[in-house]
Amino acid sequence: MAPAGNFESMMAAIQGGADSVYFGIEQLNMRARATMNFTLEDLGEIARICNQHGVKSYITLNTILYDHDLSLMRRIVDEAASQGISAIIASDQAAIGYARSKGMPVHISTQVNISNIETIKFYALFADVMVLARELSMIQMREITQTIEREKITGPSGELVRIEVFAHGALCMAISGKCYLSLHTHNSSANRGVCIQNCRRQYEVKDRDEGHEFHIENEYIMSPKDLNTLPFLDQLLDTGIDVLKVEGRGRAPEYVKAVTQAYRQGIDSVLEGTFTPAKVDGWMSEVEKVYNRGFWGGYYLGKKLGEWSDTYGSKATTKKVYLGKSLHYFPRVHVGEFKMESHKLNKGDKLLITGPVTGVLEFTADEIRVDDQPVDTIEQGVSFSLKVPDKVRPSDKLYKIVDA
Amino acid sequence: MIVVTQNRKKCIGCNYCVELAHNYWRMSRKDGKSVLLNAVEKRDMYSVRLDDDAFEANEAAAKACPVRIIQVKKIN
Repeated sequence: MAPAGNFESMMAAIQGGADSVYFGIEQLNMRARATMNFTLEDLGEIARICNQHGVKSYITLNTILYDHDLSLMRRIVDEAASQGISAIIASDQAAIGYARSKGMPVHISTQVNISNIETIKFYALFADVMVLARELSMIQMREITQTIEREKITGPSGELVRIEVFAHGALCMAISGKCYLSLHTHNSSANRGVCIQNCRRQYEVKDRDEGHEFHIENEYIMSPKDLNTLPFLDQLLDTGIDVLKVEGRGRAPEYVKAVTQAYRQGIDSVLEGTFTPAKVDGWMSEVEKVYNRGFWGGYYLGKKLGEWSDTYGSKATTKKVYLGKSLHYFPRVHVGEFKMESHKLNKGDKLLITGPVTGVLEFTADEIRVDDQPVDTIEQGVSFSLKVPDKVRPSDKLYKIVDA
Repeated sequence: MIVVTQNRKKCIGCNYCVELAHNYWRMSRKDGKSVLLNAVEKRDMYSVRLDDDAFEANEAAAKACPVRIIQVKKIN
């Protein structure tokens, strides 16, 4: 299950091989601040794209809810049901209960922090799929999936409850969804989707008697590294979980594609019995190219609390540089026409194109032309044509990928 | 006089403005966003002119707003 913060990322997730995507609608989701949240009007289009590609679609409706939110919550559930969205991911009992009463499938969000089998039994009255707390170990996960089978714990569909866990992405220092740091300093509640992530900053300790200040060993002591389960994906799947989820509705489309693709290939190789450390190295170098705070195995391996990031922001090994926009596409010759708005393009550069319908295209600039004459370099302000691997659309964005 | 302005589209419905300036703000039960009472809409921006004594409460609401969509300006 891959994150879709916008149409670009949704296409990127589909191209990366996701079986399902999740996204927020209006303000009642954990990325309420995102500049681009989908609106109720987008639901039909989202359902159409997902159905066309055989991908399931899930709405995150998982903030805490106040009385004044109930009407919007009901409208989102009603509209999702009528548009053929696959399920609602919810944490507040108001949303869980309402969706159930309407026959709309519900997934229990990680915001509920499900950590034991009795809680699974409780929510089995409402939901067929549950996301576990990100703070459990693989031993605890296995205990839960085995008990579901042994005691035949079934959801409303009559099938055994299915378990979903996070496989990749950002982690919180708090138990997910139980943090008040951002609310405390900026009135900006993580539980209403507006976490300002002040945990990611560097802090000092101050001696109150004499005023000495210390940096804390150059570590960002409240900012965990990102979860990455690729190195032990075989063990994670062996715990009996059914769905792997990738965090990152705030991430760029190329991130979504790279990470989804790595996990798609990883899962397929585990199932085929061809999962090897050499393959893991290959996938790791792919996910290191996109946004990350450094990686660790989270709490899944049962290690002591916290491997802290040693940088502010990303440790990605590559970055994208904006070049310009697509103007036109010539389908017969697979050539796009572009306008160079900034920087410079050289033959042989690694390129990236993103767009709401195009998704993510990554390729090398093998053939660039100005006025139909081959050239080696394009300067700012020049219109040029470029051989592209697939159809591009007007206003698609062109970037080059460079070492970070 | 003062002018209070709200960029309503970006409201996340946290309720702070209603708590801090209850005479001027309410939560909409329709879409879950806050409503600046008696405000006039122009290109998605809602604004209202109020007496000077409304400044303090609305300024507190503006400062508390986590998405910074409330502005309070003094005019003559």
